[in-house]
Amino acid sequence: MEFLQAIEQAEPVRLLKTSFLAYPVVNALHIAAIGVLFASIVLMDLCVLGAIRTAQCDPLVALLRRAALAAFPVAVLTGASLFSIQATTYVRNPAFQVKLVLIALAGANALTFMVLDRGRSSQAWPRLRRMLALASILLWSAVLLCGRLIGFV
Amino acid sequence: MATDRRTLMSGGCIAAVALFLAGSTLAHHGWSWTGDGMFQLEGVIKDIYLGNPHATLDVDVEGEIWRVELAPPSATARSGFTEDAAGIGDEVTALGNRSRDETEKRMKAVRITVKGKAYDIYPGRAPS
Repeated sequence: MEFLQAIEQAEPVRLLKTSFLAYPVVNALHIAAIGVLFASIVLMDLCVLGAIRTAQCDPLVALLRRAALAAFPVAVLTGASLFSIQATTYVRNPAFQVKLVLIALAGANALTFMVLDRGRSSQAWPRLRRMLALASILLWSAVLLCGRLIGFV
Repeated sequence: MATDRRTLMSGGCIAAVALFLAGSTLAHHGWSWTGDGMFQLEGVIKDIYLGNPHATLDVDVEGEIWRVELAPPSATARSGFTEDAAGIGDEVTALGNRSRDETEKRMKAVRITVKGKAYDIYPGRAPS
């Protein structure tokens, strides 16, 4: 708690707290990063699930994975900035707490997929692949919803 | 099997979120969570937060702490309510809409009055 209080008192955080422009800009960047992350993840998952028949999944996944891996740190950094303003308040927010747990689960799910996918043909493990893709869509959707709920609980 | 457990677990998370959403009719952004009709509260300021995403006051009303929501910092400052306007220990009158959930000690102010001066936080909603 003292650590979180110290974060709230840090000079750049205090500036962001009362800023007219910086806060909405950081907010917009957070949404932009989430947009790229969510869209690329869902498209990858849908391809794995066989819902995108026109596309070849391997090159599509290779491209979208890079987009997702680039957007994730932007989402984390902008999210941490928004959190820092009222760190002691947000840390007690149930939607925020659930969101962090869901991000950890969704991240573990993504990591599992990438590890199993490495150097293997998609035909080698079709069933588990689809299950992980479905779990990914559900988990990231829940992350999105929890994020939105932070301001409403 | 590990995968089934994973699927179950994520299903459980979604269900938890859905329940959470259904159970939570309170929204502190906007006005959807507030009731109709003007509500007035008088008390002593315990804490002032003038920052993003919106400013708030914690007000002691006969031993109970109420959360009074104001506007985003720029709009709050536009009403004239800045750091110099009030301090902890000052008496405040807040006029606005209280939470529809009356077990919750929370309101959104359209006008606050401190030391005889009125600040119209939401001029369009404040009564003339």
